[in-house]
Amino acid sequence: MQPVLEWQIASVTAIRAETPQTKSFTLALPQWMAHQPGQHYDVRLTAPDGYQTERSYSVASEPERVGVIELTVERIADGEVSSYLHDVVIVGDKLEVRGPVGGYFVWGIELGGPLMLIGGGSGVVPLMAMMRHRDACKSTIPTRLLYSSRTPEDVIYQNELNELARKDRMLEVIFTFTRQAPAGWSGYKRRIDPAMLSDVLGPLGGSARVYVCGPTLLVESVADGLVEMGLPQARIRTERFGPTGK
Amino acid sequence: MHRKDADINTSLMLDGNAIAGELQQIFGRDLTMAMTRCGRCSADTRLGALMAFVRAPGVVLRCPACGTVIIRIVETPGQYYVDARGAVFMRLDRDARRLAHQ
Repeated sequence: MQPVLEWQIASVTAIRAETPQTKSFTLALPQWMAHQPGQHYDVRLTAPDGYQTERSYSVASEPERVGVIELTVERIADGEVSSYLHDVVIVGDKLEVRGPVGGYFVWGIELGGPLMLIGGGSGVVPLMAMMRHRDACKSTIPTRLLYSSRTPEDVIYQNELNELARKDRMLEVIFTFTRQAPAGWSGYKRRIDPAMLSDVLGPLGGSARVYVCGPTLLVESVADGLVEMGLPQARIRTERFGPTGK
Repeated sequence: MHRKDADINTSLMLDGNAIAGELQQIFGRDLTMAMTRCGRCSADTRLGALMAFVRAPGVVLRCPACGTVIIRIVETPGQYYVDARGAVFMRLDRDARRLAHQ
């Protein structure tokens, strides 16, 4: 049996700004348990009058980091929880959390590859947990990340992604920019489309496991494109993100 | 309901993964890998991939193929109501820890 999930009080031990709209929060958990990359935690806030609200956030860290989890949170315009996390929470604060949860959008090295990760915006967060886990296990499973961002300053984990791709010949990171690309950019400058999927997925062959995470419209168009390319539905896992704050 | 309509409902839509915590709290195990069969169009969908509408008094899960309401969940101060009449069945692995994929 799985242990019964209970709410627990986490301590915020570090906060790092990733982009102007995203921050990563490191939380120390009294009842930590290893998660599967791709799983989330629910965060619950309680107002003095008893009003409660909760949101689900993907874990960004790898399960090999014992005792803590890292959540990367995008600020949503008028978002009750994300605004509080961004504007109010400081190191040392306590947060009520419940997890890890989810068994659908998960990957571990025991599932094998090749692995195709496709993320839009903060949809890269659970994919990062998968890549960090793969790296911590020194896995050589061929892996590609296709990461769609609006502008260069919206790219989360830019330095770490560059470093992972530099040191690991079996990992390739491919960026596409939908609004504004870096000066002199020769890569993709458009939304993910079937031609791009075909280019990027090609080297991994038809047996790749594909994880797609992002806003609903991106997830739907990518999933439709993959099925049209003949990829078996069972090898495609999707996760939709909520409002993107536009 | 048309899936491609970029209306308020679509923009607030999530998927069943988003309520994994609530489901696990109610049932004591992960349910996102449970297979559901739509009572209208017979599409088989993992619960994690159902369309989820959570910005409401309760949670509504719909079939991604035809839009039919599969499951509704409402929480009251003392109880949970789970209305799953939109599904023909829900199929769960007896081993709740079995990993995703075949």
